[in-house]
Amino acid sequence: MTKRRMFLRMITASLLRRRSRMLIALLSIGIGATILAGMVTIYYDVPRQMRSQMRSYGANMLLMPDEGETLTTEKLDGVLALLPEEALVGATPYRYVRLDMTSRQQSFTSAGTDFEQVKKTSPYFSVDGRYPEGTREVLVGKEIAETIGVKEGSTMELTYQPSVSSASGEASADWIPGAKLSGSAEGWSGGTMTVTATLGEDGAIAEIAVDASTQTEEFGGRTQTDQAFLSQFIGRKLPLRLNPDADEMVGAGVASAKNSAPEGSDQVDALSGATVSSAAIVNALNSARNADATAKPNTVKYTVTGILVTGGEEEGYVFMSLGDMQSLTGEDKLDVAELSVSAEEEQLNAYAEQIGQSGQGVKARLVKRVTKSETAVLGKLQALVFLVTVVVLLLTMICVSTTMMAVVSERRREIGLRKALGASDNSIRVEFLGEGVFLGILGGVLGALLGFVFAQVVSVNVFGSSITFQPLLLPAAVIVSVLIAAASCLMPIKRAVAIDPALVLKGE
Amino acid sequence: MLFRMIRGVLLHQKSKMLLIAVTIALGASLATGMLNVVMGVEEKVNKELKNYGANITVKSKDASLLTAIYEVGEGDEALNDAYLKEDELGKLKTIFWAFNIVDFTPFLNAQATLPDGTEAQVFGTWFNHHLSLPTGEEMDAGVAGMRSWWEITDGRWLNEADENADNEIMVGAVLAEEKRWTVGETVALTTSQGKLDAEIVGIYDAGGDEDSQIFATLDAVQALTDREGKVNSIEVSALTTPDNDLARRAAKNPSALNSHDYETWYCTAYVSAICYQIQEAITGSVANAVRQVAESEGTVLDKTKLLMILITALSLIGSALGISNLVTASVMERSKEIGLLKAIGAKDRSITGVVMTEILITALFGLAVGYFMGLGFAQLIGHSVFGSAIDMNPKVIPIVAGLIALVTIAGSLPAIRMVLRLKPAEVLHGGQ
Repeated sequence: MTKRRMFLRMITASLLRRRSRMLIALLSIGIGATILAGMVTIYYDVPRQMRSQMRSYGANMLLMPDEGETLTTEKLDGVLALLPEEALVGATPYRYVRLDMTSRQQSFTSAGTDFEQVKKTSPYFSVDGRYPEGTREVLVGKEIAETIGVKEGSTMELTYQPSVSSASGEASADWIPGAKLSGSAEGWSGGTMTVTATLGEDGAIAEIAVDASTQTEEFGGRTQTDQAFLSQFIGRKLPLRLNPDADEMVGAGVASAKNSAPEGSDQVDALSGATVSSAAIVNALNSARNADATAKPNTVKYTVTGILVTGGEEEGYVFMSLGDMQSLTGEDKLDVAELSVSAEEEQLNAYAEQIGQSGQGVKARLVKRVTKSETAVLGKLQALVFLVTVVVLLLTMICVSTTMMAVVSERRREIGLRKALGASDNSIRVEFLGEGVFLGILGGVLGALLGFVFAQVVSVNVFGSSITFQPLLLPAAVIVSVLIAAASCLMPIKRAVAIDPALVLKGE
Repeated sequence: MLFRMIRGVLLHQKSKMLLIAVTIALGASLATGMLNVVMGVEEKVNKELKNYGANITVKSKDASLLTAIYEVGEGDEALNDAYLKEDELGKLKTIFWAFNIVDFTPFLNAQATLPDGTEAQVFGTWFNHHLSLPTGEEMDAGVAGMRSWWEITDGRWLNEADENADNEIMVGAVLAEEKRWTVGETVALTTSQGKLDAEIVGIYDAGGDEDSQIFATLDAVQALTDREGKVNSIEVSALTTPDNDLARRAAKNPSALNSHDYETWYCTAYVSAICYQIQEAITGSVANAVRQVAESEGTVLDKTKLLMILITALSLIGSALGISNLVTASVMERSKEIGLLKAIGAKDRSITGVVMTEILITALFGLAVGYFMGLGFAQLIGHSVFGSAIDMNPKVIPIVAGLIALVTIAGSLPAIRMVLRLKPAEVLHGGQ
């Protein structure tokens, strides 16, 4: 029998025969390793978990258009793509407009927004009733509700009054959907052309009819009937302009039967051979739009689905879906977007800078009240968990080693006997250490797994989300367990070995 | 005889008993420390959460947003009763939950014309207003404590103790940049009622609307707008208990509660109960919970507490297992001695008695030492994390004592039973 096999047999025999004692030692190391693995996992996971809890304080970043730029839903999506998906808790667009309630001679600030996102970025909003889901539904702030006496289920009529603001006399508000427009302009040789158009829900032209009876039949008169020419108006928003390039015209018998400008642009091509009449049509539409936009307010009747209670200034607003707001005002325009991003302050600053430099004409600002406070509170919490972890680990490890010491010192007689039989001090040390290491490995692996289970239980109970297993923790738990087991074996062995075998055997 | 045997064990087997005492002391200190931290953590974290600013706003009952919508001119006589009285502010510290009110500050706003003809919002408020309360308490209240997130980019906080504090203002970073104002400059603010020549002492970055506003002392704005002794609103920062069902019902209508529920609600620091009491104290006021702060506070507090409880539970289980493990080991180690006792005719009961008494006495020592060590750990955590002591909770003593007793007995009983079942001859012979 080789020396190594003898060594192994001695260890396994000792472990097997002294089952109850070894079980105690193993249990004790296992507990130590469980607490180690569990606490360390929790310590690493707490900041992330708490940070997502802290998001209940609401948005911590605001996106606003740069001066002279406008923010649109499309642009917002472009900016959001810059942020990592897992960090973005929610992004709520807001469009603020002053709406009149003519029946009560009052006006309110109204916000068009996305309620699904509101629930994410402002979880503290409390709604008596429900959030609007369909169209023509509004959520009314408590203060307004109390003043005008509306409640869940009431209806209210709100009016959007487009204003002529800029000095040039151009209407600042783009469009009123569903409107019928009628305009006229001078065509070829002074003949008046009349154009009528109906706008769709999106504010773009849905139908168009031209009266070209004053025009020369084979030239300008064709604008009334040429479908290639007329169809290019459909789906475009006013104001429009005519493509002055004579090479790009539409109409029967022309190479390009389609409008050369890309879809969504404000450019239409002239009908081949009827440039003046085409220009008259565009002018008629534009003038009709300007006249209409300034003259006709848009009134829509809404159903109140709930009353909003926040304790803040939101109680003085009326909220509706962004779609409703767009069809009321005819603009796809946002004033601000509130973002709730789960990241630490430095990272947030980096995101804000990245957005500012992305050249999309959008700037990001941090909500200092939220970010600064979050940093302060989280710092304290992490320090708390850290200290607690250190204290718990320290005490547990000492506990483990006292138990190990008790288990080993119990075997002083055995050590004495072996010495009497001629075992060298070294071989005794090595054997006991081997036992300790074996227990340490077993206990460490068990503990690391149990610790993960424990951390998982805590995480699910406290934060309602699971945590990921840190693979590094397994070797760490094993190494620490082995070290502690070995260290706590060594001291009692040293004492036992130092004593005269005769004395030990005698039982003194 | 029993006494002598026990004394013998305690003295002669010092090292073994010391090991048990040390382990129990460690377990007890862990339990004491953790329990004290858990019971104190809510208050501490609550104080930290005050960083987020006010959780209650108080306004006049008659003040409404709709007046702002109509853009009624400054100093309109008809609106004069929509103010709160400045001299009633001290009453906030006389309500039932006075000690939970950490800080508060009044606001009086005005639209002032700047030298270049544009207008800006000016807020009159307290910065570090010294209050001597009727209760004999002294406190400094004001925005210095309630705007912890303000970053002073230039200059300093306005100090109300300064002689010419009423001629000083703080300006938001955006406004200062737009007007190219710097610290030390004197700016004239005018309203239809008065004029204020004020020196800019500080420029702050608040990361919000306040960046384009001006803050001056309450007295200065009252003089500027001729509204002596009046304030628009009060922001209150209070330590509160997270809302539960009762609190939510009460918040809707306190008078709908039955008398027992009402009392429970009134005597718990729910944000709605504090609001209710503020309304009782300040004439013509409406106090509202700022849900963004109040609600989130509840979430964070609940989570922190639950987290600490679970960690405590884990460490308690760990130390309990550790202690009973050691006790089991040490009882089993003495199988020879117990065999001998049995051989010379000792009854099972008296053996159990002797062994248990020895261990319990040892445990008592461990417990006493451990308790004070635990207090030390709690204070260490309190001071290094929150910078203040964690209150010693007397409730912890019986819990820890009971726990240690239970764990020690639970650890020794199975071992004793096992040892008692052994045959004396076998044990003495040395076999298993």
